[in-house]
Amino acid sequence: MMARFANGKAPFLRIADDPKKGTGIIMRDFIIGLLPVIIFAWFKNGILVYMDGNTDILGMLYPLFFIFTGGLLSMIMEALFFHITDKDARSFKAIMKKLSTSYSVIPGLILALMLPLNTPIWVLMFGVFVGNIIGKMIFGGFGHNIWNPALLGYVVIKFSLMGIINASGGYFNASEMLIDSYASATPLSMLSVDRVLSYEAVVEPYGNLWAFFIGLTPGGMGETSALALLISYLWLSARKVIKWSTPVIYVGTVFVLSWVIGLIMGVSELWFPIYSILSGGLMYGAVLMITEPVTTPKNPLGKIYFAIMLGILTILFRYVGNLPEGVGTSIFVMNIFALPIDKYTGIIRANRWRKPAWIYMAILFSLFLLFGSYAVLKSVTMYTLVTTVSPFLGGVI
Amino acid sequence: MIFQKTKGIHIDGRKAMSKHLEMEEYFNPQTVYIHLLKNIGPLKPVIEVGSPVKVGQIVAVREGFGEMNVHSSVSGTVTAIKKVWHSSGKMVDALEIKNDFQNTPDDSIKPNKNADSLDRQHLIDLMKQGGLTGLGGAGFPTYVKYITKQKIDTVIINAVECEPYLTCDFSFILKYPEKLFKGLKYFMKAANAKNGVIAFKSYNTQIKEALLPYLREYKNVSFKEIKDVYPAGWEKYVIERVTGKTYDGLPSEIGVIVNNPSTAITFADIVERNIPLISRPITITGEGITEPRNYYVPIGTKVSDLVEMGGGYAKGLNPTEAYYIAGGPMTGRAILIDDLIVNDTLGAVIVKPVVEKLHPECLGCGKCADVCPVYLTPTEIKKALEAKDNKVMELLGADKCIMCGLCSYVCPSHVEITDAVVKAKDTIRNLKKGVK
Repeated sequence: MMARFANGKAPFLRIADDPKKGTGIIMRDFIIGLLPVIIFAWFKNGILVYMDGNTDILGMLYPLFFIFTGGLLSMIMEALFFHITDKDARSFKAIMKKLSTSYSVIPGLILALMLPLNTPIWVLMFGVFVGNIIGKMIFGGFGHNIWNPALLGYVVIKFSLMGIINASGGYFNASEMLIDSYASATPLSMLSVDRVLSYEAVVEPYGNLWAFFIGLTPGGMGETSALALLISYLWLSARKVIKWSTPVIYVGTVFVLSWVIGLIMGVSELWFPIYSILSGGLMYGAVLMITEPVTTPKNPLGKIYFAIMLGILTILFRYVGNLPEGVGTSIFVMNIFALPIDKYTGIIRANRWRKPAWIYMAILFSLFLLFGSYAVLKSVTMYTLVTTVSPFLGGVI
Repeated sequence: MIFQKTKGIHIDGRKAMSKHLEMEEYFNPQTVYIHLLKNIGPLKPVIEVGSPVKVGQIVAVREGFGEMNVHSSVSGTVTAIKKVWHSSGKMVDALEIKNDFQNTPDDSIKPNKNADSLDRQHLIDLMKQGGLTGLGGAGFPTYVKYITKQKIDTVIINAVECEPYLTCDFSFILKYPEKLFKGLKYFMKAANAKNGVIAFKSYNTQIKEALLPYLREYKNVSFKEIKDVYPAGWEKYVIERVTGKTYDGLPSEIGVIVNNPSTAITFADIVERNIPLISRPITITGEGITEPRNYYVPIGTKVSDLVEMGGGYAKGLNPTEAYYIAGGPMTGRAILIDDLIVNDTLGAVIVKPVVEKLHPECLGCGKCADVCPVYLTPTEIKKALEAKDNKVMELLGADKCIMCGLCSYVCPSHVEITDAVVKAKDTIRNLKKGVK
């Protein structure tokens, strides 16, 4: 009785052996996690508008059509890419197998959810092309990309084709266009045009903070609702698809920094930091983009570091830069830092407080802190700074 | 991260297959093969091919560091020196001894009347003569731990057995609870230690029940229940839970020696009856075995005989699509041919069907870094290994890897990440040796 047995490498037990626990399941769970956001986007831009009588049945279904077109486009583009570049993927079956391990549907869905409803389909197509082909496939496919594919598409659209989107209706759906108080802008673009931080100017036109929380404000389709994203967040963390701490740290950093800005500007109430974390794509970025595993640091310490830096950078872009939206751009920039952060935090983690690595990280961190304080100072006029600080100084003296 | 503490995660133990079964003694293999390799040191045979041997007779010696005797486990005739499989996954030379089924004991095997009055040096000599090595898996010569100059305060019996599937220590303790205490007592004496601790997993209530009656007799011994996580049986983990202290090099730095329960039981035999290390407990289990069992077998027994005793391989098992694992499923080795011989470090043989591995790319979830008990970042080490960047590999602490296998275990993409880290570790070790 001499039998030949299979060769393999320890360990011979793997979690992934269980068909219910592989990478495929993680990606499936991620798509399920997108459902609340998709449903809300449909509800706000389709069903509500239909109920107001501002659109027909087709218009009601259009948001869903738009989102799923995004997913479908990204699958088609990757299929074409495989077909052209890979000799093994010539048959339909082979291409489908490649697609199933490339998880190609996700970038398209995420990109579509970030864009406003009025985006022409060809712009979406362009974004998906940039994201999936240039941002992902050319880097070597799933697992090798530097930037989040959807984000790359978004940033390119934002910088190059925003005029076209604005010309075809901008951020407003059919109902919102009829409301006069929406001064042709999203809440955040108000902020970047006019830095008067008054509740009346930035929150009141859209109702109150609950409207921000539920998501009934103008903006990208899936971005507006903190509620839907919170449900996603709970699901994704419970399924361990994302690490629960990263979004919390990121949102927390932005909260604290905007609170500080508010305090210096003389807004002592909490509405300002709350407004600051509920507006724009911050929640969307926190739950669905900075937790994206491929393009963010892999080790736990690096994740914390990444989230804090990202918070600082977001504030910088929001209050200093000319862009109305800081989240996308800041994640775009921080994705590049993911590699060195991973390396140095890896060294720190393995050696507790190993000096060189620790010094690199500290230098980088203070640089970002400098950015942060610059953001705070820049957003405050010299006058307000003097008037807020001098009584305090007088008291000290 | 700042206040580092060893850690682990829960793994389904899968021990039910062989846990309820009593240990069976199996004393009569046709032939035994005594490997001419112990731990990592080669042995020198001291017996001619063709000469008769008795049970417990010295057949080989190890010289230099870790010098000790190795004994025959049966009586009969030495017939040849052959190359056979060793649990390290290599073929090594072994003495083939044909059993005459007489079981004639060597003259040295006789009850030791003054076992209680032996002093430290004497006990350490007995370890050396009895060829006692750690039966947990590393196979380190036991007496080397005891000749330390450091003051030893505590001897810990590590009965945690955190590897899934393995139940050999568990059933061995249940069979000889008293010997365990005796072995521990002699170990404490050999180390001049005041305290003895028996550490086991908290869910193993049977161990507690079996050992409790003896606790009154042995005043200095206490129990420590350990959480059901992997790798809870790791020396550092156990010591940290028992003493609250941690160390960098060897446990003797903080006055602790750790031994396996099977080693303690064997040591009790060595001291009281002068029976050297000639048998060891082993679990033959896995989905590919008809009747998983625990055995107490002479060293040198063919594993295939044991498998046959348990009804052979499971029906419908295709060997080429199954693993034949020497050791535990997390740290063991796949042996290609089922011609394995029981040696002193082989605690289990597991036959297990291969699960098809899909290899999507690493998605970068970071779970491997999350679970690593020594706080490494395996993905970065793998990257450095692929880039052949030895300096970064060393900075990332690849040589600290304890090869527990958790990173590959948690990987959702079936990436062979443990293998990469172990390769990086070897690279660094070789480099360091080269410098010296």
